[in-house]
Amino acid sequence: MIEFKNVSYSYPGGDAPVLRDLSLTISEGDFVLVIGASGAGKSTFLRCLNGLIPHFYGGTFGGQVQVMGYDSLREGPRGMAQHVGFVLQNPEDQFVVETVEDELAFALENYALPQTTMRKRIEEVLDQLNIAHLRNRQVSTLSGGEQQRVAIAAVLTLQPRVLVLDEPTSQLDPQAAEEVLDTLVKLNSDLGLTIVLSEHRLERVVQYADRILYLPGNGQPPLFGDPVEVMARVPLTPPLVTLGKALGWEPLPLTIKEARRFARQFQVPGCKFQVEPETQNSELETSIEVQDVWFSYNGHDALRGVNLTIRAGEFVAVMGRNGSGKTTLLKHLVGLLKPRQGRVAVVGIDTRRASLDELVAHVGYVPQNPNALLFADTVREELDFTRRNHHLPSVDYGPLLRTLGLEDFADHYPRDLSVGERQRAALASILVADPEVILLDEPTRGLDYRQKEALAAFLHAQKREGRTVIMATHDVELVASCADRVIILGEGQVVVDGPVRQVMTDSQVFASQVNKLFRDARFLTVEDVLERI
Amino acid sequence: MFHPIAWLLWLGAAVLPVMLSQNPLYLAIVCLAAGIVYAVVRQTSPLAQSWSSFLKLGLTLIAFTVPLNALSVHAGRLVLFTLPRAWPLVGGPITVEAVVFGASKALSLFTLLLLFAVFNCAVDQARLLRWTPAFLFEAGLITSIALTFVPQTLRSAQEIREAQAIRGHRFHGVRDLLPLFVPLLTSGLERAVQLAESMEARGFGGSLEPLNPRREVLIKIATAMALLGLVSGFFTATYFRDQQMLGWALLTLSLTALALVFRIQGQRVRRTRYRHGVWRRRDTALAAISVGLAVTVFLVRVCARTALTYYPYPPFSPRPPFNPLLGSVLALLATPAVLAPTRREQATSE
Repeated sequence: MIEFKNVSYSYPGGDAPVLRDLSLTISEGDFVLVIGASGAGKSTFLRCLNGLIPHFYGGTFGGQVQVMGYDSLREGPRGMAQHVGFVLQNPEDQFVVETVEDELAFALENYALPQTTMRKRIEEVLDQLNIAHLRNRQVSTLSGGEQQRVAIAAVLTLQPRVLVLDEPTSQLDPQAAEEVLDTLVKLNSDLGLTIVLSEHRLERVVQYADRILYLPGNGQPPLFGDPVEVMARVPLTPPLVTLGKALGWEPLPLTIKEARRFARQFQVPGCKFQVEPETQNSELETSIEVQDVWFSYNGHDALRGVNLTIRAGEFVAVMGRNGSGKTTLLKHLVGLLKPRQGRVAVVGIDTRRASLDELVAHVGYVPQNPNALLFADTVREELDFTRRNHHLPSVDYGPLLRTLGLEDFADHYPRDLSVGERQRAALASILVADPEVILLDEPTRGLDYRQKEALAAFLHAQKREGRTVIMATHDVELVASCADRVIILGEGQVVVDGPVRQVMTDSQVFASQVNKLFRDARFLTVEDVLERI
Repeated sequence: MFHPIAWLLWLGAAVLPVMLSQNPLYLAIVCLAAGIVYAVVRQTSPLAQSWSSFLKLGLTLIAFTVPLNALSVHAGRLVLFTLPRAWPLVGGPITVEAVVFGASKALSLFTLLLLFAVFNCAVDQARLLRWTPAFLFEAGLITSIALTFVPQTLRSAQEIREAQAIRGHRFHGVRDLLPLFVPLLTSGLERAVQLAESMEARGFGGSLEPLNPRREVLIKIATAMALLGLVSGFFTATYFRDQQMLGWALLTLSLTALALVFRIQGQRVRRTRYRHGVWRRRDTALAAISVGLAVTVFLVRVCARTALTYYPYPPFSPRPPFNPLLGSVLALLATPAVLAPTRREQATSE
């Protein structure tokens, strides 16, 4: 049992408390989902459970947190580690040693357990998480899903009764995320392990939760209760729930299966592929041309004969498994990589002949990790830097920052911004050079629903202004809301290339929730349905 | 294959003659032995690199060192040809002695490289670090974390460089380092904080048995004094020729003190080890041979100073002296190749 009694906390130097007078009780064996906008205090809440707050971070702490009768303030992280297992967002950053087996032993060694006990526990955990075949592997060679499972195993060796995970799937692709969530569900149901987890992509996980804790941020009182009740009362909901709320479905469906019942009444048969033919595009000029491109990294073929024509003003989503060649393709389009064989032409320039300088005047590339870009003292300086590099005069950044919702942050230190704001600051620092082609690599990692909506709207506006947008992503909902063409890569080849409505309706995997529900090319997003009904 | 400690002893025994002798014949024997061991080790090691890149590196070393020495040192009697004296630095006679000496230097560098390549191949560093004594456990752990940080940092440096290049960043001067350096530093720090959290959440730290405050202070003072003694002893021994005895005495004294402090600290550590590497009979054999070899080389060096030295320039001869007995002792460095289990044995034991 976990008990919070009047817990308040503010970070050192922070003026407003992140948690204010929080009281709640989590029963043993529950699967609890913690939701809330970025910066609402989800991570803070989770870190109270094992005493990392306040022991690791300092700050002002009031009230009491008890887990299985142990006071986290008195015990501290070391004392709590035997009762609460804690897993972080990025699996790579939490490994201490190189091989899987040694990583699992780390916590046990810290507690000076005898070797026979260690052996027994490690064997058990290896089996529980189905990772026995990885035991001698180096952690750096594992896939994201495997790494996160090893990270979970590494805290379970101490046999805690509670497992706490801070956005464990945000850095993973959908398949790996599924792998991790399945593991958690199994641990919860087979071992009765209490699981407390925070997550942005609710559509992945809401159906597993016994309870949902909603933290609204700004010191507002939290909501804690049954998933259906909480979902009905919070603004951040997955598309399916949003639709259900808009149409007044009762009880609110959380899964496709539950929603089918309501959807049946709207089902219009026989209009599966009513897609407007893309005539309006054909007279537009070609923006990007990729002809039979081959590329390999250390003997491994990353691209195998890719052919593409993208016209100016198109919004293309590039999807596919991790390692299918999405990033490699984007890097070819900006000239960072040159094809081993074949030809890439961007706005008529052959990337093999042109210098990077010539290309970046036309193409803007926003990398996966915004932290790779941001270095200056303020967001404004960040934008100045890009303009200067492109030999462009300094301009008024007001309009750009306003459309990105960053107008209040022009003089802030970029690294102090939240994940979503940083992502947009990185976007601004690329777009300020006014490129004709915008390339984005995984732009929605760690963004909540509202931030994603804002990003989609912004990109849509860019497209309307005649820019070509190409985005590599795993996020099906984002693609449904703003892209008009989807390219699916598999093993370095184009597997599917077509209009988004057709591709999604044809696919079982790459379809939005609303589309899965209706299986109709006219309905991809909540707005599509609401407009027609 | 062998226990890390046994490998460590082998490495020590192999490096010693290379450091003490420039004699190309002895070096060649060590080099050959290391080559044989390398050939055996790389068959089973997942860490093995290609043989050819080592050969290339070795040839490059020779290609640089030999001409450099030959062109810059003009001593010797066996003149090959003479460059005009008016040419600065390179002008003068080019001698056989200088060529041979350059080659022996290149060979010693190459041998060292090869020895470390074998060691790298055979021993997982992370596992070796786990054998650091208990009181040094944290230092070992920090080193092992640093080792994994290096490739991660290199990767993120590459990512940052690309991202900034596309943004139009070009390198002109020191100021342009900022856009590369700041993201690297901050993301490194963020990673470090995450790692620290993860370690803390798994009960790391606070694994020392608490001492009473007075003893704690005493131990700190003793450590500081010992380190100070170490530095001043070293300084005295190297810079004041007439006070060498004092220097050595200081060094010995402070080393003993340090060992004592470490021992006391080591007894306080509450930790256990998961891995207990198996020490087999062949480990004992390798360790014994290595220690014996090292002692022999050391004794030869102390008792018969000239037996190992090699100096081709007059009044000595460019033909290196050779003692067959010493040569065969050095050949024992190939022991790991002989004692190593065959592939079938390895498969059955693991």
